[in-house]
Amino acid sequence: MTIPRHRWRGPLAGLLTALTATAVLVGCGTDSGGGSGAGATSGPIQVWEGYTGPDAKAFAHLVAEYEAQHPGQKVSTLFVNNDDTLQKVLTAVRGGSPPDIAYLYGSWAPNVAQIPQVVDLTQWVKRSGVNWGDFWTGERDVATVNGKVIGVPALVDNLAVVYNKKLFAKAGLAPPGPDWTWQQFTDDAKKLTDPAIKQYGSAYVTPGTEDTVWHWEALLWEAGGQLLSADNKQAAFATPAGLASLNTLRGMAVTDKSVYLDPSDSNYATLFNSGKIGMLVTGPWDLGNFPDVEYGVQVMPSYPGASGGHQTISGPDNWVVFNNGSARVSAAQQFILWLTAPAQVKSFSLATGELPTRQSQAQPSLSQQMNAALPGVSTFITNLANVQQARPQIPQYPKISQILGTMVVSVLLGKSQPQAALDSAAQQVNQALAGT
Amino acid sequence: MTAVSTPARDGVRSAGRSMRSILAGMPARRRRRWPFSPWHLVLVPATIVLLFPFAWVLITSVETPSEALHFPPVLVPHTLRFANYSDALASAPFVRFLVNSAVVALATVLCNLVLCALAGYAFARFRFLGRTALFAVIMATLMVPFQVTMIPQFIITKWLGVHVLAGVGINHLGALILPNAATAFGIFFLRQFFRTLPIEYEESARVDGASRLTVLVRIVLPLATPALATLAALTFLDSWNNFLWPLIAVTSTDQMTLPLGLATFQGAHATDWTLLMAGNVMSLVPMLAVFFIAQRYFIQSVAATGLAGT
Amino acid sequence: MAAGSVARAGGPRQRLRTQGGATVRRVLDSEQVTGWSFVTPGVAIIMLFGTVPIIWSAVLSFQRSTLNTSGTGFAGLSNYRQLARDPVVAQAIQHTLVYTALFVPGTMAVGLFLAVAMNRKIRFIAFYRTAAYATMAISTISEAIVFTWLFDPSYGVANYSLSLLHLPQQQFLNSPSEALFVIAAMTIWGWTGFAVVVYLAALQGIPRTLLEAAAIDGAGPWRTFRRITLPLLSPASLFLTVWLTINALQLFDEVYLSTQGGPLHATTVLVYYLYDQAFQQFNFGYASAIAYFLFLVIIVITVIQFRVGRRFTYYRS
Repeated sequence: MTIPRHRWRGPLAGLLTALTATAVLVGCGTDSGGGSGAGATSGPIQVWEGYTGPDAKAFAHLVAEYEAQHPGQKVSTLFVNNDDTLQKVLTAVRGGSPPDIAYLYGSWAPNVAQIPQVVDLTQWVKRSGVNWGDFWTGERDVATVNGKVIGVPALVDNLAVVYNKKLFAKAGLAPPGPDWTWQQFTDDAKKLTDPAIKQYGSAYVTPGTEDTVWHWEALLWEAGGQLLSADNKQAAFATPAGLASLNTLRGMAVTDKSVYLDPSDSNYATLFNSGKIGMLVTGPWDLGNFPDVEYGVQVMPSYPGASGGHQTISGPDNWVVFNNGSARVSAAQQFILWLTAPAQVKSFSLATGELPTRQSQAQPSLSQQMNAALPGVSTFITNLANVQQARPQIPQYPKISQILGTMVVSVLLGKSQPQAALDSAAQQVNQALAGT
Repeated sequence: MTAVSTPARDGVRSAGRSMRSILAGMPARRRRRWPFSPWHLVLVPATIVLLFPFAWVLITSVETPSEALHFPPVLVPHTLRFANYSDALASAPFVRFLVNSAVVALATVLCNLVLCALAGYAFARFRFLGRTALFAVIMATLMVPFQVTMIPQFIITKWLGVHVLAGVGINHLGALILPNAATAFGIFFLRQFFRTLPIEYEESARVDGASRLTVLVRIVLPLATPALATLAALTFLDSWNNFLWPLIAVTSTDQMTLPLGLATFQGAHATDWTLLMAGNVMSLVPMLAVFFIAQRYFIQSVAATGLAGT
Repeated sequence: MAAGSVARAGGPRQRLRTQGGATVRRVLDSEQVTGWSFVTPGVAIIMLFGTVPIIWSAVLSFQRSTLNTSGTGFAGLSNYRQLARDPVVAQAIQHTLVYTALFVPGTMAVGLFLAVAMNRKIRFIAFYRTAAYATMAISTISEAIVFTWLFDPSYGVANYSLSLLHLPQQQFLNSPSEALFVIAAMTIWGWTGFAVVVYLAALQGIPRTLLEAAAIDGAGPWRTFRRITLPLLSPASLFLTVWLTINALQLFDEVYLSTQGGPLHATTVLVYYLYDQAFQQFNFGYASAIAYFLFLVIIVITVIQFRVGRRFTYYRS
């Protein structure tokens, strides 16, 4: 049997050319970035961050400014989606090539603190130039684990209520006032719900992850409750306050059916933008997702008589510095010092609409300017004063978060009664804390 | 078994005609009622179901950002915005990402075709000591999720880059090619296919004095064109879409591949859907082009399959 | 021309026999050498980047949670004992197996049907085939978004269709009992293209002569399919069964991007639980133990599939 040779010539030639080209390109691969090991020279510092869109442009601008002001010091940035940064950092750390600076979620802080290459900044933040006290309480609490400071605040936010003005007017409801209560929220949500046109009063995310949990924690704190005992050894939420918070959720989700349950963690925003949801408990990051809605922002409602008031919860993130040798550490610290200085905080906030990470910058003038560009953000800025505490910074928190997430979702889906759910969760949390 | 040239039973039609009908999947006798093959009635709805998510991707890629932020998704946008594509290209060095992805994918495909054909053939036809055990060992590599092996793989790659060849170390395209230059999947796939080929041709060629390599290249591979084309298409797809290993191994922007580039549109809280979908469409085009080319090889020449006297 | 018998129409295990024992030994030796030389390049790469990391990680599964690069000490079998007592692992195993039982036959059936439909030279056939392949090309995030939309309890097409048929509305991804089925539907859609491509390649190997002869002998299309095509496709079917099972048992991306293991752990499959333990709970040792447990499960199932498959697969030589 003769095999026509010409059948192979074309594709084979093409592939061989590709292979040769590859060999050439691979051989001349760039060596930029990814430097390893401790060195006496301070080369470029590597920053891994997850900024997108306008945030990315503003950050690139800041980096260029820093390099212009510090000739000879290069700052090389790499985009890594924030959700993926931990995997990449952990692998790099184990492989001996960590970056110099990485943007890491605050919720990871207790475990990040255990990484040996993370630089202990406790003494560094006490230097006068840093002005550590100028950062918000919630931020400082999240950057500190067992007294050790492991990061510098990169971002701060909080939860408030964003509502659709038109839907409120159509339902004949007065817009929420700063002293409103959860009962009013519940009533408003019920009136805004109309199954015929598939309109909901509010929404809640139900993947069972920390996003589910922290929305509920704000309610718990407002009702005067606590998550754990002061020594972080016992669950402390199976109390009347815990019951009140879960009952609020249950009333809306199960009894009134006024809550859109979103397992995707993103549809709620697009639904709000489509005018199908009346109110959302969310943060300033979502404001840019509502171009088609005339919205208003109000602080979270309170439980009358409870000690929590209009307390809210915040989810700060950190710049974490890794040890690649003393020269690079000090170069990294110098960059962080400049990046988080009041002037840069102000310019970044103005350019992006992110809340100012320093209290000194939360001035009314800045607020007004930012509000003109992004309506509603000034309420979030003033709401930062309502952040009075942070979630427990313990390594077991991720496990506890899972238990609580299951608890909240099972109540929302009507699968369990609040008291039973609280008791069961408290028992599991105690077990987790005891280390079994 | 009758030979090809026996006329069809009804005697009126020619052998060629009956062959065509069989190829069309219908018995020779039925007269066509429609001007087109009835299989279209099956394939068109099936294609709609298969392509529906693409419709969404395509439509979103030409929407304005505010219309993209609607739920349920807007399927007939009021305004079209083709500038999304140029915006996407401008927001990051996408041409560079495209080139990187193309180089990695093409090299990976070539290496796989060569190495997996060799190994697959050996596993299919040769008997050598330790064959079964070795096959089991490499199959086992398919049974552990990547998250488990990525840290050791990172360390090994880094070591290779420092001690063997810089081009295959961390933050080089070679690091994206080498670990996937041969896969147990490819070997398994080709082994299965080679075993379906009748051995007579290979054995007669061996009797004629051909070396095993010649048998492989001159006889087996031409018969295996559909399988090779399939493996090429699947390997290309896998390499083009690979995200997790490049995420770990790339530490500077100029070595990023397309999936990493597309991730720059996805923030922690805010995703730029229009740009992301525009990027996705641009990423899909090469993959579809590769497959479009490869699927031609699925129809072998009759001479290759019409093994008379089987 | 060598004397001796020409190749017999036997299985691939038939070896050429030539004159004299010495020649046989030479053939044997060269088969060993050639065999090993053919496999070495590919196998070397797979072992360096696959086998070595697996063994390396296996060591991790015997250590306590390790964020420190130096490891925190040998923990013996305690991670495995914890695994045996963990109720979530039992749930994850159940979910993984149920999902696999839905996904593998579903994908093969749909893929085979479409491959047969696409195995002909009608107009637009290149387009249809590319459409099937395209489902593999789409990014998982797009797939997840579209499917969560289609199955949205309030706004999705699925419930809308049910309402047209006067059937009760379902909660789909919000329902612990239904979420896994939605994920199965999503992944079957995503993998259909793969099954189509594999079966198409295999269908090319079925000689026209056999099919024609059957038609001439009066066999209808269904009988031909059942008696001739299906058995000749059995190697491809075995390949698909094994490969799809291996992938189904390692399901992760779709769960991560749509339900995050919920609601109420209804879609927590083993690899998702492993990822959660490693990167959200920071229990690397325990995560490795889960990975190796899964590894054992996959090995056992694959070996069973090969053994059973051997009796049902028909290799033409």
